[in-house]
Order: sequence, then structure tokens, then C-alpha cells
Amino acid sequence: MRVLISWLSEYVDVPISIPELSERLSMAGLAVEAVEPFGDDFVLDIELTPNRPDCMSMLGIAREVSVLLDLPLRPPKVDLREEQEEASRYISVEILDPELCPRYVARVILDVEVGPSPPWMQRRLEAAGIRAINNVVDVTNYVMLELGQPLHAFDYDRLRGGRIIVRRAMEGETLLTLDGEVRSLDPSMLVIADVERPVALAGIIGGAETEIGPSTRRVLLEAAYFHPTSIRRTSKRLGLRTEASSRFERGMDPNGPVIASARACQLLQSVARGRVLAGAVDVYPLQVSPRRIRLRPERLKRLLGVEVPGEKIEQILEKLGCAVTRGESLEVIPPTFRPDLAIEEDLIEEVARIYGYNQIPAKMPVEATTQGRRDPVLEIEDTIREILVRCGFHEVHTYTLTNPQVFQRIRVPEGDALREVVRLRNPLVEDHTILRTTLVPGLLQVLSTNAARGTKDVHIFELGKTFHPLSGEVQERRELGLAMMGELTEGNWNLRPEQVQATFYHLKGAVETLFEELGVSGYQLRRGTRPWLHPGRSAELLLDGTVIAVLGEVHPEVARHYDLPLRAYLATVDIEAILPFVSLRRAYRPIPKFPAVYRDLAVVVEEEIPSGEVEKVIAEACGSLLERIELFDLYQGPPVPEGHKSLAYTLTFRAGDRTLSSEEVEELLARARQLLTQRLNAWIRGQ
Amino acid sequence: MEREIKVLQEKATRDIDGARTLEELEEVRRRYLGRKGALAQFIKRLGTAPQEVRPLLGQQINRLREELENLYASRMRALEEEALQRRLAEETLDITLPGRRRKIGRLHILTRTVREIQEIFLRMGFEVVEGPEVEIELYNFERLNVPRDHPARDMQDTFYLEGNPDWLLRTHTTAVDVRVMEGRRPPMRVLSTGHCYRRDAPDASHSPMFHQADGFMVGEGVTFADLKGVLMTFAREFFGPQTRTRFRPSFFPFTEPSAEMEISCVFCGGKGCAVCGNGWLEILGCGMFHPRVLEMAGIDPERYTAFAFGMGVERPAMLKYGIDDIRLYFENDLRFLEQF
Ligand SMILES: [Zn+2]
Repeated sequence: MRVLISWLSEYVDVPISIPELSERLSMAGLAVEAVEPFGDDFVLDIELTPNRPDCMSMLGIAREVSVLLDLPLRPPKVDLREEQEEASRYISVEILDPELCPRYVARVILDVEVGPSPPWMQRRLEAAGIRAINNVVDVTNYVMLELGQPLHAFDYDRLRGGRIIVRRAMEGETLLTLDGEVRSLDPSMLVIADVERPVALAGIIGGAETEIGPSTRRVLLEAAYFHPTSIRRTSKRLGLRTEASSRFERGMDPNGPVIASARACQLLQSVARGRVLAGAVDVYPLQVSPRRIRLRPERLKRLLGVEVPGEKIEQILEKLGCAVTRGESLEVIPPTFRPDLAIEEDLIEEVARIYGYNQIPAKMPVEATTQGRRDPVLEIEDTIREILVRCGFHEVHTYTLTNPQVFQRIRVPEGDALREVVRLRNPLVEDHTILRTTLVPGLLQVLSTNAARGTKDVHIFELGKTFHPLSGEVQERRELGLAMMGELTEGNWNLRPEQVQATFYHLKGAVETLFEELGVSGYQLRRGTRPWLHPGRSAELLLDGTVIAVLGEVHPEVARHYDLPLRAYLATVDIEAILPFVSLRRAYRPIPKFPAVYRDLAVVVEEEIPSGEVEKVIAEACGSLLERIELFDLYQGPPVPEGHKSLAYTLTFRAGDRTLSSEEVEELLARARQLLTQRLNAWIRGQ
Repeated sequence: MEREIKVLQEKATRDIDGARTLEELEEVRRRYLGRKGALAQFIKRLGTAPQEVRPLLGQQINRLREELENLYASRMRALEEEALQRRLAEETLDITLPGRRRKIGRLHILTRTVREIQEIFLRMGFEVVEGPEVEIELYNFERLNVPRDHPARDMQDTFYLEGNPDWLLRTHTTAVDVRVMEGRRPPMRVLSTGHCYRRDAPDASHSPMFHQADGFMVGEGVTFADLKGVLMTFAREFFGPQTRTRFRPSFFPFTEPSAEMEISCVFCGGKGCAVCGNGWLEILGCGMFHPRVLEMAGIDPERYTAFAFGMGVERPAMLKYGIDDIRLYFENDLRFLEQF
């Protein structure tokens, strides 16, 4: 709403400066977004909240000012000289759908001289951002700006049958509207029609055929009250928002049409020399009855936390146009131009608003206390983030919105479960048409974006949700994704890349650390098969038969799709699946009192035999005195025979209750050697 | 013999002093003090000396041994010191070569901000919860007193999903408030955080996905004054103790009265600048829960009152750290992430 200060001053004195006025209005909920100079005058640009249609007028703003500054309001005086002849002889009005149009007021003006409106009027319209057209149309716009009530003027002589019919449009009807568009109408839309055809889209825009033109002599002036929802739906449907529709859709004053049409007639008399016929044809089939609201001062105090004196409450409400009756509590009848005042709390807000939100003291609650705590799952999530940050990973946040092309890029075949997606019904851009089912493409994109910008060493994680349609529901699953690419350290001068770049085993180590810290143990390892990973360099971790994590090197083809400059490694962890196994409880274990005995053991086996198998056999042979097995060397080449490899381990033996003798340890080692030979056909080096 | 001792003394002293290295010194020691050294020779020859001078000569030899041993020890210390100094000199590094660093990870600035907000409200007795990102109209709108034809329900603002006409991506975490209230009895103080979605074309200040922190408090005596106290505390904790706040009337379908909290501009301190204009920055929407909202959640609005508030996470963080483009959060450029 654009408010010209000199115009505003016609209805209320403004004895304060413009900045002060802006401040007072803003603090009362009428946010002044800008103050613009307009000649030697100023225009306030006020952003209204949708609950205040009454303020979409000069008089409405003036009323607020008068309440805030406690000054009298001066509504425009309407003194109308009417002709003898009755308007009802010229026009009759029939409302076929009173729900959508509870009231329609028609007036008739004869002998108008259409021409430009006077400069003062044009100037005010201009200040409000409305183009001047001709004196008749300008008057309707002027009164709308002044009083809020939208009006429409028809060329009476182009209306057929002397009858206005307010009805729903019929299927197949069209209307050429004032903006030059031919609109196809349907029965959800309310139209103003004469006996033959629609002549206006009710409350939104007029028809071109009945437009006021230079030859217009007789005017039919419409002032009506339309149902807000109907106007909003039609306006949305047609993608057409006008000054009129934006007012009607928020709810106008059902008593506005009478006064507004009289005011417009008065102005048409003075600026277009029209002769106003006697009386208005006022059809009001569905009376809007005023509401009565009980306001209890103690309720006000309970809600606001401050006591406002009864007289003050009464005074504020009365100045806002309410009728107030004092009793045990206050009985309040809000004015019909305030459709937003429906319940007690609405009135309390009005009192608070005028009294001033900033007059209400601030205090800390003395309510029954509650304990602050985080949801346990959020605690676990936070712990996971902490662990990964300590492992050197940066956290990222990527969009949950994505598109199906990503599946191709990460080689997910047709028919794969990951391709079962939740689609957006009304996507905005092509990149965002579905909800993600995996974090993988997002992480790859981050590697790719960073690499393209010159950052090749990227170690990241994301903890977020993926979305899956599941028997008529959308299942949201927590997932963790890790990605590693490039150097793990900085300041690597004189070190070879292979000494400092991330490998499969770095990623595996990160996942192992994570699980260890979360107390998740006892998982099995097997070769992985996810399509975005290198088949020979991927693994799956299983717990109780469920895959809890997948990790490996990014498939070369996928790496190419994302222009990755180095080998990259990706892991995904199913957080939902591990949640039941997470244990963050800690208990002290005494630090060993007795010394450990260390022995190295080098084993030669066929190269297909995984190190894990060898470790398992050693562990079985040595039993509980074996504290730890650590691989320190993997070797292939002479003197190890072709097709074989040498694995060297450091074994740590310890007993909790005594110092182990070397005989005991040698015996265990001998048993290990024997079992290795038996089971894995291994031979022991250095023997 | 006495003369010979004298000669030996001079020679040995010269040799010890003249030893340039530890090896040379060891050689000298062996020559004079060793088992077959010069002094040992003297001891052997002592038996051939006349009886009466033997004790005296013995004494002289012992004194000489003692003297040479001392000399030897101090020479050794000197040579060791020299050797150490030489080694230290040789081992000097170019201290300007780059340090070898382990890369450290960091939490995303949005996570840190969410956590900071959570911590502030945790200290005020709020419980932090989470709810689904895919919502239904019932919780996102209807139970919040947003009727079917309210402008906020326009397709323009909300992402709807295929598969069910009711499915949508929540437009605010206020939806979680309703879910929580439904299942519990007052008193409650609850904060929920998470992703929200609006159908906005991405630009420097709009993102189709963003984060919100949304809270409410229900009890028998919760007032607008409490709302102000709690939110002013939040503002001071988050933006610093110098932060001033003010509350402007506003409109939300689910609160009555409704307000907008503004803070004194973090850039100009409230004097007015290009960012704030009038010295104030809008930071969150709030109000007393509309009685219909409580009623629909099964809470008697006559007995209980409640305040509620909702804020974005991206914007306060932008203000706090001077970030000028919301898209930076989701691009994950390491040069951005590493700054926090
Ligand atoms: Zn500023």
C-alpha cells in the first residue's frame, strides 16, 4: 500500500515527522518498507499482512494513525445531490449465487462527460502506482484507494436488457477482458452478466465490450461484496491479480459498497458533470451479521503477561471502530471492515498492538520446569559427526532434491531398488525432480566441484536422510556417506604421492574407527557389488546378516563421469541398521599389570588366501593369551615362490595374572605354525 | 727414575692436551694409563729401584697417575663437548620448510549453527527433537490453522509429491510442534530443527532447501512476556550481549497475537546501514499459539497457553559470519567450509 502523506493528512492530522510516523506504523504492524519522495511530498510504501484488508485504503491507514496518535479521524463527507428519477427504473439486479456475492449495489449516472480527470486526482493515482485512464475510471480507482472498496463502471448503453445478473459462468463462455485477453470461463468462476453474456469477471476485471470510452454517456456503477475464497480461486486459476481482486480476496467490508458508491457518484458529479439518479439498487440477500466477542481482561493478562487497565482496553477497541459494552467482561462488536477480528485472542492482539508490544515486560518463564535434553538419536548423530571430524573429514550438506540422471552417472542399473524414488509433483528446476535415495551422487558432486576449482584433496562426510517409497508411505532413512580423495596430510615435500594419498585401506580404517567408537563390533566382511565401486576393490560389512556399510574405490567409469582427477574412495553406512547396536556407554578396564611378549611371525601362503583367513587361524591356535595381531609386511617376489605371498605379523601375548614365560609363548607359536600349515598349506619363513 | 717421571709427565700432558679426537685421546690414554702403558712400566720397574726411594717414587707415580687421569677426563669432556657441538651444527634444519600437517576435519557451519541454537535452548530447559521432512497437509497446514484456501498453501510455495495428494515437503518445522503436542501433556518446552523446503528459485538469498529451528512452550501460565524473555535471551546468547531486540506485530495463521522479532543490526550496531536500512534486522517470527491450534492438538486452550517461534538457520548464520550468498552452504567448496 502506497500512502501519499498530503492525501493521508486529509483524514487525520500528522503532527509528527515522517521517520517517526514510519516507526509508529511499523511498530503497530504496518511495516513501512520505504519512504519515497514524491515532488515536495512523500510516499510511504507499507507492506501489509494478509489479515489487514481494512488498511488497503487511505482511510484505513488514517484510522490506524488516529488510534496510535489519539487524534480524531475525518472520513470524507459525502453529500450527494440526486436527480428525481430513480435508478431502479434503469437497472435491476439479480444475484443467482448469494454465497459468492452476498451484496451488489448498483447506481446509475447520466450525461457524464468522459475526459481526463483533474490533475490533483491524477497525481494521487500516480503516487499510488495507478495509471490515469479517464475521469470515470479514475474516480472508481480513486474511491477504491480512499475507502478500500473496489468499484467498477460499465457503459450503461452497452449493457443489454437493463439487468445485471450475478451468476457462475457457464461452460464454454468466454470474455474479452480489459487487458485485451480472451478468457475462457468455467462454472467455478463468478461473472457479472447482462441478459445475454458475461460483461465482467466479478471482483477481478471488467469486460472490454462494456468499457467506459470517450463516447460513454451513461454509467452503471457497481459496488459489491464478493466472497474472498471465490475471488482468490478464480484469480489464481487465471493467473490474474488486480487491485480489485487483491482486496476482495482478503475480505472487504459488506457495508462498504453503499458509502463507496455514493462517494464515487459525488466525485463523478464534480469531475465528469454526471447526473446521479436517485437511490441505489442494493441487493443484499445474505446479510453479514456482526460478531459479538467476549473479552475477559484476566484472559488478556494471562496471555500477555501484563495488566492493561479496563478503560485503556475499551478505549483502544473503540478507537479501532469496535462497539464495546462493559459488564463482567467486555462485550465487543468489531466493525464490519475488520473481518480478521473473530475471537477473543484477536482482540487481545489488537490491544497489545496499540498498547505496544515493547511495553510488555520481558521475563523468564517461572513455569513448571522441564528438563532440557536432546533426542537420543540426535545425540548419536552428533557423536558420529564428532568421530568423523576427529578422523579429519569435513562435513558437507548437499541437497536432498536431485534428479534421476544421477543413477546413470553412478551406474545404477534399471530396476535397482535405488531407482524407486519419490517424485516431486511440481518441481521448479530440472535438477531437482526427485528426492535422493542415496548420498553417493551428492558426495561425488562435491569431490567433482572442488576438483574443478583446484582442490583435489577432499575428505568429506554427510549425515542425512534418504527417501524411499515403501508400501504407501515415504520411508526416511538416516544414512552416512564418506568420500576420500587425494592427500591426507599437508606439507608433503620429499614424500611420494603413494605415501600421502588416501587408499582403500584409509577408508576402511575410517569405517573401522567409526564402528569401534560407536561400540559396533562383530561384523563380517565380504566383497562388495555396488555398481559405483571398483568390483575388485570394494567390500560390504554385515551385521546379523544385514549390510551395514559398503565401501570401496570409485569405479573408473563413475570417476570419469564426475571428472575426478585422482582415485577416490566412497563408503556408505546404513545408520538406521546400526542404531540398535550402538553403545556409547564406557566402563573402565584396568591397564595391564604384566608385561607383554612380542613375536614376529612371517607366513607364506598362496596369493588368493586373504590375510583375514591367516589371522583367523592364528587367533584360533593361540587362544586368549593372544592380545593382538598386527600385520606389518606384505611381500611378493623372490625368494617367495611365484603365486604366493608373504605376510608378516607382530603377535602380542599377555596374561592378565602373570608374566608369560618364553616357553609358553613358543608353544603357542608352534601350535599356530602347525595349524597354518594344516589349514592353509602355509609355510613359515625364517624356519 | 725421578727424572724420567718428570719427562713422562711433561710428555703425557702435552699428548693429552694435543689429542684432537676422542680416538686420539683413547690412544694417548692407552699409551700412558693403559695396562701396558708407560705408568704400568714404571710400576714394574719400581722393584729394581733402591729400597729407600721406593715409597717416594711410588707416591710420585701415583700422583702422576691421578694427575693424568684428571687431565684425561677433562680433555675427554672438552672433546665430547666439541663433538656434540659439531653434530648439532651439522644437524641444523631449514626451519622455514613447511610443517607436515595432519588435515583436520570440521563440522559444516550449518551444523554448528544448529547446534549452537540447540545449546542455547537446552540451557533454557528445552527438549530437542526431530520430525519427518516429508509431511502431510494435516500437520504442515491444517493443524496449524492454515485453512485450505490460505495463500500459504499455494502450489507456488510448497513442493508436493507424487504418490499421494497429501504428501508435501514440509515448509516449516512448526509441523513438528503439532506432532509433539499431540502425543503429550503439558508442560512442554520443545525445539525442533531440520530441513525445510520452499518452491523458491535459487538465488543469493533463496534456497529450495534450508534449515529451520522452531520451538514452543506450553504451560498453565505461559505468556507473551515469557516469549519475549526467552527470545531476547536467545538473541543475546547467539548474537552477543550488546544485542537489542524489538517485537513488531505480524501475522501468522497459527499464532495470535503474532510478532516478528528484530535485532539491532549486527553490522552497524543499530545506527542504520545498507544492509538493515533502519538499524533493525528481522530474525524470527513468533507469537502465542492460536487457541484452535492447541485445541486441535488436544490441549485445552482455556487451561494452557503457549508461545511458539520459528527461525531460519541460514540467515542468522549469514548475519553472524557475514556470509553473503546462501548457495555457499550447499556448494561445499572446501575453501568455504575450512573457514569455520
Ligand atoms: Zn545496519
